[in-house]
Amino acid sequence: MRILKIFEFIDLILLTLVLILIIMGVFFIYSSGVDAQNILVSNEYIKQIIWAALGFILMIFFAVLDFKKIKRVLNWTVIGFIAILVYTLFFGRYVNGARSWIGIGSLGIQPAEFAKTLYILFFAFYLEKTENTEPLKRFVISIFILLVPMGLILLQPDLGTASVYVPIFILMCYVARLPKHYIFLFFSIGMLTVLFVVLPVWEHLIVGQKVLFVSLLTNKKLWLIVLAASSFITLISFLGLRIFKQRYFYWIAYSFAILTVALFAYYPASKVLKEYQIQRLIVFIDPTTDPRGSGWHIIQSKIAIGSGNVFGQGFLKGTQSHYRFLPQQSTDFIFSILSEELGFIGGIFVFALYLFIFIRIYYILKETNNTYGYYVAIGIVAMFFFHFVVNVGMVMGIMPITGIPLLFISYGGSSLWNAMICVGLLMSINARRLDFSA
Amino acid sequence: MSNFVFQNTKDNKDFKKKHLKTILVFIIVIFGIYSLKLFSLQVIQGTNFLQQSQTISQRQRFIPAQRGEIYDRNKDFPLVVNIDSFAVDLIPGEIPSGMYDTVALRLAQYLGITKSSIDKKIPERDRRSYTSFEIKANIDFDLITKIAENINDLPGVSWRKKPLRSYVTSNSMSHVLGYVGDITKDELKILYNKGYTNSSIIGKTGIEKQYDDLLQGSAGLESRIVDVRERKLTENTMVQEPVMGNTLVLTIDSEYQQLAEKALGNRIGSAIVLKPSTGEVLAMVSYPYFDANMFSKEDSSAYYSTLFNDTTKPMLNRTVNAAYSPASTFKVVMTAALLEEKNFPKENKIECSGIIKYGDRDFHCHVKRPGHGWLDLKNGLAQSCNIYFWTIGRDYLGVDKISSYASEFGFGSSQKIDLPSQSSGFVPTAQWKERRFHEKWVGGDTMNLSIGQGFLEVTPMQVANMMAMVVNEGTIYQPHLLKEVLDPISKEAIHTVNPEILFSSKIEKDVWKTLQEALHYTATDGSASSVLMKNKVVQIAGKTGTAEVANIKDSWHSWFVAYGPYDAPKEEAIVVCVMVEATNEWEWWAPYASTIIFQGIFGNQSYDEAIDALGFRYLVKPVGRQE
Repeated sequence: MRILKIFEFIDLILLTLVLILIIMGVFFIYSSGVDAQNILVSNEYIKQIIWAALGFILMIFFAVLDFKKIKRVLNWTVIGFIAILVYTLFFGRYVNGARSWIGIGSLGIQPAEFAKTLYILFFAFYLEKTENTEPLKRFVISIFILLVPMGLILLQPDLGTASVYVPIFILMCYVARLPKHYIFLFFSIGMLTVLFVVLPVWEHLIVGQKVLFVSLLTNKKLWLIVLAASSFITLISFLGLRIFKQRYFYWIAYSFAILTVALFAYYPASKVLKEYQIQRLIVFIDPTTDPRGSGWHIIQSKIAIGSGNVFGQGFLKGTQSHYRFLPQQSTDFIFSILSEELGFIGGIFVFALYLFIFIRIYYILKETNNTYGYYVAIGIVAMFFFHFVVNVGMVMGIMPITGIPLLFISYGGSSLWNAMICVGLLMSINARRLDFSA
Repeated sequence: MSNFVFQNTKDNKDFKKKHLKTILVFIIVIFGIYSLKLFSLQVIQGTNFLQQSQTISQRQRFIPAQRGEIYDRNKDFPLVVNIDSFAVDLIPGEIPSGMYDTVALRLAQYLGITKSSIDKKIPERDRRSYTSFEIKANIDFDLITKIAENINDLPGVSWRKKPLRSYVTSNSMSHVLGYVGDITKDELKILYNKGYTNSSIIGKTGIEKQYDDLLQGSAGLESRIVDVRERKLTENTMVQEPVMGNTLVLTIDSEYQQLAEKALGNRIGSAIVLKPSTGEVLAMVSYPYFDANMFSKEDSSAYYSTLFNDTTKPMLNRTVNAAYSPASTFKVVMTAALLEEKNFPKENKIECSGIIKYGDRDFHCHVKRPGHGWLDLKNGLAQSCNIYFWTIGRDYLGVDKISSYASEFGFGSSQKIDLPSQSSGFVPTAQWKERRFHEKWVGGDTMNLSIGQGFLEVTPMQVANMMAMVVNEGTIYQPHLLKEVLDPISKEAIHTVNPEILFSSKIEKDVWKTLQEALHYTATDGSASSVLMKNKVVQIAGKTGTAEVANIKDSWHSWFVAYGPYDAPKEEAIVVCVMVEATNEWEWWAPYASTIIFQGIFGNQSYDEAIDALGFRYLVKPVGRQE
């Protein structure tokens, strides 16, 4: 029977793991919608069930579809999506402070979610095509490919979703054997710039008193001096490298180039980002500095998780969640309510589920012989892992608040569909692991 | 498309293996760290967080206690009660979303207020909150019934009992009782440690303020678990019952109060009825007075402004907070001083010809030539002859002695009555004048002082106490308004106020006897006897006073202070002091009012009966000054 052929493409292990996560998600979305009087005030769980059902269809579709065929329509799809993203930027609806949503009435999607997968598909395609290209050129074009969607999303402004692109980019470059020092350069400049932008706010809000080091940045004169000095050293070392051809000149030039660019980039970056946005990022360091705003989220989340103890407070019996102390319970903070009600046992169970998914993907990666499939699967791993690390970290108070959902569990149609499409793609790749063709 | 990477070259395979291994190890390490963190939060710090989760979600709410009642001395007539009244609350979170404006408008219509006044009470950000907001108080039962009948149109609306402080007959009791209001931030700063909260009702003036701590009672406590929108969860309520405030019994006798109030009438001034043997104040009237019930109403701040801007100062309790020249009433002190000093025999006569010269000035007695003629002390007092007292004051006593005796009688000192504020008046001394004006005290000043004018200032309460000292023969008991404190439920006395000596004089006993006789003679044969003797029910002894006031011609402050019965033990005595300000039309009213009061008290008559008994129905206004 032709219908039964479908089941050849479906990887039962992935299917089971994902299914368990989705079902748990629905249960806890339900719980998050029950208030202290045990009255259901939200029907989000029903919506999630519907989305999950439709998502399964999407998943099966992509599992059955030969992923390689996607390459044929990529160029047009990408152009189309850029157009959609631009449209969203100007005409989208505000959701949680960012223009990230388009739709009619109460039906709509967040294009940025799907753009992530499209980016993976496109970038994988590019990497596959350009294996023999000169590395520097390849890297520069890769950055360009990265910045287009990432930039558009940053403008919404959706810092969280935009940040997902970075690990995807880095991991895919890594396995595509782009030179490590290029990757590291890019990564370090980025991280250092972020650090510089964050330092003044950290000094102001968390430390509360002047820190000498920080004034090198905030004081314009000092900053210019440091920037000039750093550029100078970079130039000198560069010359030294040219003239003397000593190895260590290279490293000095390298390090100071990072510093110089980061110092330079610090200035516009700190002007574009407002203090409250930066504050949201670092409040997790000391949530008590903002006990009524974002600090409140973190404090409540930790209390919720902590009060779950080993066995949890029981399903539908969580105090922080039901008494509405925990905000965004069905989306960003769903893990908090899960931990509150199921305790450490429940939390570790969810961790295990995700870990098994990653191990399964590891197996798929190991077995596949298809370049394009390999790259796509790597990109998906990076995306899945980043979501997990940042969301659970945020909820436990060790990561900044970024509004990234916990895949499969958090309430949200676009995020769920996108994740299930990716699972379909993984199944598709897995089913065709012995296929060497392009 | 090439797939060179996956040519099965050993090189490429190795790289792939390496990469994947690195990635997997990295993933596992992160999982390990996160598991440890989760363990730390839930297992290691679990109990700590569990406790925090309970703390945030528990709320305690004070249930206000009923304020204590206040009675007059007879305990059968409450002066202040708490009236059952309702307040209407709104919980915006219970209104279906989008309906706020509709519901608020509807509610406003029922309550007879504007929608914008409701909007002012509930800021935008609270429009989904489960906190309760008081929209209006003082709502009667009928309106509540109406709202209850239509409750389906009014989601989020609820009501509760909020007793109204009701002053049974406000009038002159307003100065004694005072009024209550919501506690202000400044008051809370001071009283916070005593258990007041920012929704406390607190006494603002009078007895309500003076004994606020007795009247407050203690609030009950309600503890409940709430969610972050303040929604109450009924299963978890624990209650500590509120305890009603104590019942206060005042020394005031309502009948005497009404009598004195009517006797004073619409004349700006004051009247005091005092029991000298204990210091109990039986009546305290100050006109104009205000309506304390107005402060419970919505527009109380408008009323307050009206009172505040009224130039007759209705909120001023003139019995204790206003100081005036005592005029001739001070001659009582002068008489006592002269008798005690013994340097001028009381039988000696001084000639009053109506005018004497001193320095470069003419001093006129209050009767024109030929004056009073030759007067001894008894007659000098009875006729209130200025020249007599100028002479003895200037020549035989002197300012130092006069000031000293004035102080002995309690002038210049606080009378320490149990009200939030009182004036001490002022007794001048020679040193004071030099310090203040850099001028020496001169004979003219002594003369002024001798007849109770000049720098001397006294309150009516002090004048009443002066007479009390005469009755008690050397003792003034601390005047007080509180008689007893009762338990609010059982009505048993928790505390009784006993007489306390406030001033004690060393003046000899026979001086007092002489003075009492002189004052009796003054009443029967003195300048006011035609009025005073209309009262046939009690023998009195007392003194008039007519004070000159700067900038007012043809009108004077009219004083009268007396006690009766003259011929009875001092435990039965009652002192009456009336003072009518010069700002009124001149009627020389103080003796009349006092007579009415004595008639009413000792004849056991109401004001109207007393008036008729005295024949005061048709009163003739006296022309010119009389003493």
